[in-house]
Amino acid sequence: MIGIKKDRKMGRESILKSVKQNKPELLQLPDINEATFEEDINLLETFKNNLKAVGGFVKEIDEKSIDTEIKVLHSNKTNIVSTTKKSALGTITIDKNTEPHTLENIDLAILEAELGVSENGAVWVTASNSIVRVLPFITNDLVIILKKENICLHMLKAYDQIAERYRDFGVFISGPSKTADIEQCLVVGAHGAMSLAVLLI
Amino acid sequence: MSHATKAAEFNKNEAKVNWHDKALWYVREKRDKSAHNVQGWEYLRQLGSKIKANVLSNLDEYLIQFEANAKKNGIHVHWASDAEEHNNIVNDILSKHNAKKVVKSKSMLTEECHLNPFLESRGIEVVDTDLGERIVQLAQEPPSHIVLPAIHKTKEDVDELFQEHLGTTPSQGNPEYLVGEARKHLRDKFLNADVAITGVNFAVADTGGVVVCTNEGNADMGVHLAKAHIACMGIEKIIPKEKHLGVFLRLLARSATGQPITTYSSHFNKPEDGKEMHIVIVDNGRTEQLSREDFRASLHCIRCGACMNTCPIYRRSGGHSYDYTIPGPIGSILSPGKDLKKHSSLPFASTLCGSCSNVCPVKINIHEQLYKWRQVIVKEQKQPMVKKSILKTAGVVLSKPGLYRIAGKTARFMLKNAPKFMIYNKLNAWGKARDLPEVKGQNFDDWYKKRQKNG
Repeated sequence: MIGIKKDRKMGRESILKSVKQNKPELLQLPDINEATFEEDINLLETFKNNLKAVGGFVKEIDEKSIDTEIKVLHSNKTNIVSTTKKSALGTITIDKNTEPHTLENIDLAILEAELGVSENGAVWVTASNSIVRVLPFITNDLVIILKKENICLHMLKAYDQIAERYRDFGVFISGPSKTADIEQCLVVGAHGAMSLAVLLI
Repeated sequence: MSHATKAAEFNKNEAKVNWHDKALWYVREKRDKSAHNVQGWEYLRQLGSKIKANVLSNLDEYLIQFEANAKKNGIHVHWASDAEEHNNIVNDILSKHNAKKVVKSKSMLTEECHLNPFLESRGIEVVDTDLGERIVQLAQEPPSHIVLPAIHKTKEDVDELFQEHLGTTPSQGNPEYLVGEARKHLRDKFLNADVAITGVNFAVADTGGVVVCTNEGNADMGVHLAKAHIACMGIEKIIPKEKHLGVFLRLLARSATGQPITTYSSHFNKPEDGKEMHIVIVDNGRTEQLSREDFRASLHCIRCGACMNTCPIYRRSGGHSYDYTIPGPIGSILSPGKDLKKHSSLPFASTLCGSCSNVCPVKINIHEQLYKWRQVIVKEQKQPMVKKSILKTAGVVLSKPGLYRIAGKTARFMLKNAPKFMIYNKLNAWGKARDLPEVKGQNFDDWYKKRQKNG
């Protein structure tokens, strides 16, 4: 990047100078009064309803029956990656050095999420849950295992819970990939996973 | 060409306009339902607005903090004063990687900088990967909406485009089939791309990370497969703390489409091992807008598009009639700051009904700013003779009650008795495409006096 170093610096200094000159007097950052967002609702039921509303499948199951449930949902998949010890259905093993392009034909990925958000049915998946970052996007179908007790009320609470994490990559996933770009007709399965099932244990 | 002229063009196809109008209003209704589901929604909007106001008042410090934190995580940070610098920086990064194939996820900033034609002229293939953006790219048109880029296209239009460019079979516009074909077509592009470019929804000062929101998963498919990721952002995308994402992610998708959150909200803090991540921070007129006290709140915008969906003018004139990267009410207060002369008709493309301000998740006083831009424009731009003389006459008439009464009587007499060609002509914009009201026997003044007399 040697060739553009000088220009880059010019841009930086002139932008910061211009901001300094043009910004208004300091306005205080507001405190967030989270009591305003408190609601006496059933976290689990709300999570399930919201996830269904965004096109996801959700079911409360016993931890021991994870693989049985997945086999019912996805009966004839061959290329399966499981990044969690909770499922033994994986047929392909991956590690940190797996070249992401080789995951092109993965039929099913099974991974664990650390957190669920009741208000929008989203689950928080990190790079360490996926091992290879592209996995939950490139797989044809996605199954996510989530502990029921890890569902929180809303996004502000979710950020409290992930505040201390190691920050490399993380994503909130709410339902399967979708688009309404053709005449506003909702079609599930755009570029990411065609289906999402969240198994609550 | 003025907004009104271009809008007239769009209005030639009445059925399409009606569909466009209804489709966007439906999205507005979904936004309402979704917002009403949130405990403390109005407080959430207030927070969004106040956080953004704080950001603008301390922007230089936040930018410095953001840069330092991003660098600590191994992200390369670049600064661009204008579109040209931005495009050159991106091009230099691509050259360094010897990149010939680029996939891009939605970024209004790169539209604003005209990055695609710049790179294409240098022999680089740039593929827009959001389905709506890909559709308009194939049609060689700009997006007509910031969230729904191809809302002006019918499914039959898309069918034809795909037949021509992707070799699909005619399907009479079957959305499932067309999306499936686009998925295959773009998957191939993702798998063969050298570098991925994305926009930025939020850049977090206290972590140095950026958040990108999509429903399709196209940003992630691009970034996690390519060897380098370039994220392009305007300086106003900064938020102070990661926790503030909890405010903005609750507001964004609900305001945009009525979803409780986008399908994917991806947090990029560090490049994957062996890969590179670059962030380009762009001014391109934003610091100038920051200097305008009356208009700086326009920089609060989080690009949800709610103001477009609700706007009676936007819905019936289409995004292309604005002839600016960001159309609709928000575009009409941003664009005059970039080029007053070129965009001088946009602040007038409004009824000033205030619906845009009412739905804005960060409470930008859009309609008030539209009104203020009108005042600036009338002072600085030559106005058409007809408008000028009519307004001058109206000023005199309205200031003299006697004259007003005579004028009122004359107008009523004329409306009742004058031949049609005298009433419906070029000078009377109100008579265009609609009938003027039927004249009743008496005016308000007479009616009121009579009523008082009768007790």
